[in-house]
Amino acid sequence: MTSVAAARRRQALSRFWADFRRHRAGLAGLVVLVAAVLLAVFAPLFIDDSVTSVVDAPGEEWSGPSLAFPFGTDESGRSILLMVWWGSRTSLLIGFLAALVSIVIGMVVGIAAGHFRGWLSAVLMRVTDWFLVLPSMVTALVLAAILGGSTFTIIMAIGITTWPSTARLLRAQTLAVEARPYIERSKALGGGHWHITTRHVLPNVAPLLLASTTLEVASAIVTESTLAFLGVSSNKTSWGTMLRGSYDYGAATQGAWWYILIPGLAILVVVMAFTLVGRALEAVLNPRLRKAT
Amino acid sequence: MRKWVARLVVLGVALLLAGQGTTAALAQNPAAGKKIVRVGATQAMDSMNPFLAVRIVSTQIHRWMYGFLTVSDSKTLQPSPDLAESWTTSEDGLTWTFKIRQAKWSDGQPVTAEDAAWTFNRIMTDEAAKTANGPAVENFESVTANGQELTIKLKAPQASMLENPIPIVPKHVWESVTDMANYDAEKYPAVTSGPYIAVEHKKDQYVKLVANPNYWRGKPKIDELQVIFYSNPQAAIAGLKNGDIDLIGRLNPPEYEAIQNDPDIVAWNTQGRRAAYLQINHGATTTDNKPIGDGHPALKDPKVRQALHYAIDKQRLVAEVQNGLAQPANGSIVPPMYKDFFWEATGDEKVGYDPARANQILDDAGYKKGADGVRTMPDGDRKLEFRFSIHTDTPIEDKLAEYLTGFFKDIGITLTTKKLESSKFTEETGVTGLFDLAISGWSVNPDPEEVMATHLCSRRPNAAGEGGGTESFYCDETFEKLYQEQLKELDRPKRIDLLKQMQERLYTDAPIIALYYNNDLEAYRKDRIASITPIPEDKGLLYGGSSYWPFYTVTVKDTAVTSPAGGGSNTGLIAGIAGGVVVIALAGFLLSRRRKSVADDRE
Amino acid sequence: MTAPLEAAEPAVQAAGPGDERPVRRGTLQYALSKVGGALFSIAMVIVATFFVFRLLPGDPVRNLAQGRNMTPAQLDLERHRLGLDKPLINQFFDFVGNTLRLDLGTSYEYKRPVLDLIGERIGPTLLLAGTGLVIAVSLGVWQGTRAGWRHGGRFDRFSTGTSLVLWSVPTFWLGLLLMMVFGVGIGPIPGVLPFRGIESVDAPDGFAYLLDVASHMVLPCLTMVAVIYAQYLLVMRSSLLEEVSQDYVTVARAKGLRDDEVRRRHAVPNALLPTVTLVFMRIGFVVGGAVTVETIYTWPGLGQLFYEAIVVPDFTLMQGTFMLITVAVIIMNTLADVVYHLLDPRVRSA
Repeated sequence: MTSVAAARRRQALSRFWADFRRHRAGLAGLVVLVAAVLLAVFAPLFIDDSVTSVVDAPGEEWSGPSLAFPFGTDESGRSILLMVWWGSRTSLLIGFLAALVSIVIGMVVGIAAGHFRGWLSAVLMRVTDWFLVLPSMVTALVLAAILGGSTFTIIMAIGITTWPSTARLLRAQTLAVEARPYIERSKALGGGHWHITTRHVLPNVAPLLLASTTLEVASAIVTESTLAFLGVSSNKTSWGTMLRGSYDYGAATQGAWWYILIPGLAILVVVMAFTLVGRALEAVLNPRLRKAT
Repeated sequence: MRKWVARLVVLGVALLLAGQGTTAALAQNPAAGKKIVRVGATQAMDSMNPFLAVRIVSTQIHRWMYGFLTVSDSKTLQPSPDLAESWTTSEDGLTWTFKIRQAKWSDGQPVTAEDAAWTFNRIMTDEAAKTANGPAVENFESVTANGQELTIKLKAPQASMLENPIPIVPKHVWESVTDMANYDAEKYPAVTSGPYIAVEHKKDQYVKLVANPNYWRGKPKIDELQVIFYSNPQAAIAGLKNGDIDLIGRLNPPEYEAIQNDPDIVAWNTQGRRAAYLQINHGATTTDNKPIGDGHPALKDPKVRQALHYAIDKQRLVAEVQNGLAQPANGSIVPPMYKDFFWEATGDEKVGYDPARANQILDDAGYKKGADGVRTMPDGDRKLEFRFSIHTDTPIEDKLAEYLTGFFKDIGITLTTKKLESSKFTEETGVTGLFDLAISGWSVNPDPEEVMATHLCSRRPNAAGEGGGTESFYCDETFEKLYQEQLKELDRPKRIDLLKQMQERLYTDAPIIALYYNNDLEAYRKDRIASITPIPEDKGLLYGGSSYWPFYTVTVKDTAVTSPAGGGSNTGLIAGIAGGVVVIALAGFLLSRRRKSVADDRE
Repeated sequence: MTAPLEAAEPAVQAAGPGDERPVRRGTLQYALSKVGGALFSIAMVIVATFFVFRLLPGDPVRNLAQGRNMTPAQLDLERHRLGLDKPLINQFFDFVGNTLRLDLGTSYEYKRPVLDLIGERIGPTLLLAGTGLVIAVSLGVWQGTRAGWRHGGRFDRFSTGTSLVLWSVPTFWLGLLLMMVFGVGIGPIPGVLPFRGIESVDAPDGFAYLLDVASHMVLPCLTMVAVIYAQYLLVMRSSLLEEVSQDYVTVARAKGLRDDEVRRRHAVPNALLPTVTLVFMRIGFVVGGAVTVETIYTWPGLGQLFYEAIVVPDFTLMQGTFMLITVAVIIMNTLADVVYHLLDPRVRSA
């Protein structure tokens, strides 16, 4: 990559940042998102798996919020605060990895379907359309139920059922990018499929991909919790399994509102953050929407 | 458009509020003057056809509807007369003759031995009819009827013959059923001979039963029994608290704790019919005695198994895993609720919590501790690292696993937890033998023969590695011999003694280690139910027992009849309506304001 | 929930007849090609279902038996009954043949044909999902229109914000909270709405019965609407935003039409199209929501049946309900394509 191109990219980036900063909601989302990710990543410096241990639980069962336990304790006397903190690692991990699976499949299929013509494109689009109409939650449930609950199967079940919309989006973008004259020039200069897709198409669609990923992470986190509620879980402490625990142990009838509210609010806040960032990114990147908003 | 939407919203809200009011008001009418007991269930009926139904809710309802040959005595749980008034056995124990009671089906037809013979013969000859109770007729050679006299010829003597679990159906109604596998028996009112008659079944919603006026013991003291289904167990508990249901059985400890301090509710906590135990892979084999699976070799040593037993603090497990709602097990797999058959270790035989002794046993047997504190096999090759298989999604088992890991660490044994889906769990711990230790449990019937049979050699998987239904891969000569003897022993006290010896053998040889007996946790509303007699009458079960007794004897409070089915008090209704009015007023105000502001915008 | 939030773009494209091939075909031809595509998709569903359910670890018969005691002879018999002793390819053709004859097998748990079980439960689901969908779409379109027409305004920010919050919440969590607040009651506030089932056990007859059912529908419907209406709102809003900047809107305004009328007569009808398509495209999403909502409120529908199938697990039942739901969704989508084609002159004359 020449220094000119690099400079251009840098410039584009700073323009993009300037645009993004104008979206206050997106910015707020970004702050929350970064904070959540940092907290999850650095959690092992402060706490470890022992916060989920029922044997060494530090508190009384079902005790309400107090100084020692700001968000109260659960049915075994574990601290909800620490559990939510530790659980964020599984929830975010599943969110990110499921989004990654979804985006990688979507990207490969989408760009290939847009770049190549003829039967390959037709077949890829047929497959995409087919996956697009599958009811994703129901399919993910069936897959997870068949393959058995584990972090891996849940990631795959979510990834496999959510990629088609990314593929569609990217195909449209690829078609648009490849219609530009410089692609023609590149082809004339002997650029192969690999060169064109990785050097020209991918950098152009990358920002939208980012926006799409952000939204995917959001929905994957919610899906994980729904799967956990319906009995398909990774067997690790996550926000979804915590909510399932509050349901199994009858937190509502115990009056332990903190046990129900806190993990739910954690999901709400983080998913909102991802969604706001994703929407802001889309608004900045999609010129049509930019004009409108 | 906006106006239209607004009207719709207002109409909707008004309608719903009005609806709520009307239903609450109307709900009192059908209930008025009738004595109704509403039982909550977190399981829906799997089938109304007693030949097919296996779920507890279904077998309970069938117990309330149909007569059986015998029923557990309400005090002793011994088989006592039900549809069979009396019976005799031939000298060789192969021919049983029952005298069927002069009673009437709910449609007025007489009950005869023909009905019973038809029921049994159908199961013996029709594969589909075997679904629910096939094993119960496996030993039947022939069943014949003559008037009120039923003759059953057996292939081999069977002392548990009287514990027959098959509901007897009216021949004149069921004769016409050709395809049993696909018959749903959704015909109402059902024709029954028990205390209740099913009159309505809404799928996944409720079953309504009315008292049978022709019941031979006399009509039950209530008019109607409803079984109301909740797919959300939390909603069921809330339903009990709100008064939507009157009784709910089979609670788990957290649910029980949630209601135990409610002033309107009787929290029912008695000994239960379930035993929880550890299953130990002590060298799993198939029926042709070939090893199967990958159990740890150290577990073949009875000393290791005994050391494990000494290392478990059952008191603490009960207190902290079961929240005190269980009884520590000092016996085997028959819970103390069955007084006659219950066996408990005493004296030297009794294995208490004694980690020092456990360490001593292992030291003496040559399992030396390594530098990391983990013991190795006497030949020094393999560390004592065991896997503990539990089910996914069962928080109580998670908790148990954590405690056991701690207990075993104290005696130099590492335990790692392995969570499995239920089907995989059954496969690995019951067929392929891919486990070291596993959690298990069994709900025991009044006669323990069935649970004993799960530890027989023949229950192991066959040479092809299939089938069975073993609970332990146990195959022990002494145990087999005792089992065969008890089958033939028609003298009850002698048979009880044999069954106790079998439990003792299981206890000392330790292919399984009983941990605790789960309590029976149930709850009912004080303001609705005046009295209910459990089965057995001394500290027994209400729902899920082996007799209709509790629901035959239940009585309700007269005052309760006026309580509306919805349970919402009038204050709630008024508050709701007031709230609705406020919402509508607010919506109206907002709408009018917005119209004005839009109007302002126009040129 | 789980669907992409603003799927207007893919939805429109999916409805379009393949963008790089400008086709001029009659509606009938178009419909036929779409139906052909749908039939292909359905065939794929059947094939995929067969193979996915063969991925199950362990012996299928033992999986079905769910740990009930069975002798090897019984297992063999069961295996034979299910045709599992045949070669895979024969099993496959049996499966396809049976499925085409609408024989979805017999549920192991309920011992009834899967199709019968579905038939008994489809009504309540249609009632709940249908009502929820109608309310969600009306509310979404109405709010989306208002928000988009005066975008950036207080109403816009409020409704977009609310819908994003509701969208970010797991359905089951919201459902449980609503049940606690309005059904059970919190503290001194008594619960007034029923939270179990579709009707009271001693339900009255006639008009009062309808009211009884309606009151039972309030909470499940509310939960469903809360989580699904956001997407309709956001799509309606963004497509209206697009229309607003179109020339014809400017022209209409220039003609001196009142603001209200421009919106009602010109902008909204055009902006409605992507939303209408989305309604059909996202039927699968509504079904997914129904599984949790029905489970929480003991609603006797397909969602609860599917949940039962997963919990037991009853694989025949799971397989049957899965195929039925998927095929229904494919049919709805095809309908959407054809209807869209009929309605949108732009697509028709592309």
